[in-house]
Amino acid sequence: MLTTEDRKSEDTDLMIGLRRAFKMAKITYKMIPEGMLEGKYVPLNIAFIDYKEVKAAGITPMEAFQAVAKTVSGPVGMNIFDNDVVTTTSDGVMAAGAIRFMAAADMGKINKDFGYLEMAEMPYSDELVKEEPHLIQWQKNFPGKKLFRGPDPATKKIPVHNVCITGRASNNNSATEMMNIVTMEEILLPILGQQQIMRNGKVVLGLTGGIISVGIGMIMPEKFGRVFPTRQFPAGDTAHGSGVYAQTLKAHIPCIVADKAVLAENIINCFKAGCIPGKTVGASPAVLSVARRMGVEIAMDNITDRAYEELASVGFTKEWMTEKVDILTPEEIIAKADEIVPGIVDGTKYNVPDLIKEYTIEV
Amino acid sequence: MSDTITMNLKTIFVLIYEPDFIFSMLSTAERVIDMKLMHTKLPEFLKKMKAAANESEHPMDITIRGLENLTSAKMQSLRTGRIEHAVREMTMKDGVEKIEFEVIPRVPETMHTVIVKGVDKEGNIKHAILEVVNILHPTEEAYLIGCDDVDDRRPEIGRH
Repeated sequence: MLTTEDRKSEDTDLMIGLRRAFKMAKITYKMIPEGMLEGKYVPLNIAFIDYKEVKAAGITPMEAFQAVAKTVSGPVGMNIFDNDVVTTTSDGVMAAGAIRFMAAADMGKINKDFGYLEMAEMPYSDELVKEEPHLIQWQKNFPGKKLFRGPDPATKKIPVHNVCITGRASNNNSATEMMNIVTMEEILLPILGQQQIMRNGKVVLGLTGGIISVGIGMIMPEKFGRVFPTRQFPAGDTAHGSGVYAQTLKAHIPCIVADKAVLAENIINCFKAGCIPGKTVGASPAVLSVARRMGVEIAMDNITDRAYEELASVGFTKEWMTEKVDILTPEEIIAKADEIVPGIVDGTKYNVPDLIKEYTIEV
Repeated sequence: MSDTITMNLKTIFVLIYEPDFIFSMLSTAERVIDMKLMHTKLPEFLKKMKAAANESEHPMDITIRGLENLTSAKMQSLRTGRIEHAVREMTMKDGVEKIEFEVIPRVPETMHTVIVKGVDKEGNIKHAILEVVNILHPTEEAYLIGCDDVDDRRPEIGRH
C-alpha cells in the first residue's frame, strides 16, 4: 500500500480517487522489447516505470506491475524507479535515483511467491555511516534524501539472491541484471544506466567486457546491499575471488550503462566527499582510473592480493596505479571521460529517447 | 507350542533376511500406514508413477523429467501417494492422451555444494575443495504456457 509520504504529489487524494473511480487513470512507462536492440540481443522484455506515475494513478506498485505485465505476451522484468531518493553503486559511489520495487512476469502472470520484491529503506544514522564509511557522501552530496539499495532479506523467500522469478523471466541483483532462464541469455542494467534511462539522459549500449566483469566484484560492504544482504566482503577485496577468470564472468553479456561522463562526475563527487579508493570506496577500474587522473591517493595497502590479481589481469597493475600521469581538473576528466574511464566493448552512445520507447496504458 | 516357536523363528528369520518379502506381504492399508511413516525410495517412486499411468482404467504413456540427475534419494511419502492419485486422475480427464510429469524446484533458487576432488591413479581422493553454487531455475509458469486449467494443490511454502 502507498504510505502518506508516498502519496505526495501535485495531485490531491480526491483527484487520484476520482480518476480511479472513473477508470481514467493511466501510467506511462518505458519498454525495451525482447529481441535485437541496435545489434545487441535483449533476452526478455524490460519495463521501467517512474514511481511518480504509480502514485499519480493512485495504484499500488503491484497493481502497476500487473497492468504492464498484462500487455506483454512473454517474459518481462519490471522496475519501479524513484528519482527523488538515492542509492549506491556496487563499488560504493552514491548517486541520485533508485529502484524501489521490482518484479518479473511471464505471459501476464506474476508468481505470487517469487515474482515481486520491495527495496528496504536504510534510515540515516551516525552508526550506519560509521559501519559503512562510504556513506559519508550521503549528507555531503545528498542531504535529506532517503537511501534505498536492496531488499530486507526477511521479506524474500528466495534464499540468496535478491531476485524475482516468474516463469522464464528473472530480475536479479535488486533489478540490475535480467535474464531469460530458459534461453539462459542475460543483460546487465547497472544502476547509473537506469538513472539515465529514467531521466532521458545518455546511455551506452555495448558488451560488458573484461574490465567491468572485474569491476563488478570490487564491492563495498553494505547491509541490505543490492547484491549481498550482509557486509560479506571488506573494502579493497573482491567478491569474485576467481583470479584471471574474473574478467570472463560477464564479458559477453550486453549491458546498458550511463554515459561515461556521468560515471566520472559521480566518482569525482564521491572523492570530493572524502572517499578513498580501496578503503572507503571500492577499487574498481573506473574508480581507480578517475582517482589516478585526479591525483587522489589510492589505499594500496588495503587492497587484497586476490583483488590485485583480478585487476592486473585486465591491465590495472600496481605499476599502473603508481605511474606518473598528468593531473586533470574534474571538468577536464568529465570532458575526457570516454578516454579516461575504462570498460564496455563495442559500445555506442545513445540519447535515451532514441533507444527506448514510451507507452501509456489505462490502469 | 513347538509349532508356535517354529513359526516365530521363521518370522524372525524372514524379518532379518527378507525385508522386501515382508513389504510385499503387507496389505494396501498397511502400506499406506507404512508410507506415512517413511520416505519412498526413488526407484519405487518412479515405478509408482509409471504404474499409475500405465495401469489406469484409461492406460496411457507417461514421461518423467527432472529426476534424471538423482541416483540416491528418498521421496516424501505422504505426497507420493497424492501424486500417484493425481497421475491417475489426469489419465481419466477428457481429451488427455499422455502424461508429461515434470519435477522442478519449488523455490527457484537452489543452493548446491560443489566437490572438486583430486584423485590418484588408484582412485583414492587425495585432495578436495568444497565450493558452493546457487542455481536459478524457471518457475512453473514456464512449463504451463497456454494452459488455463491449473489446479494448484501445493500447500504454502513451509508446510508439507
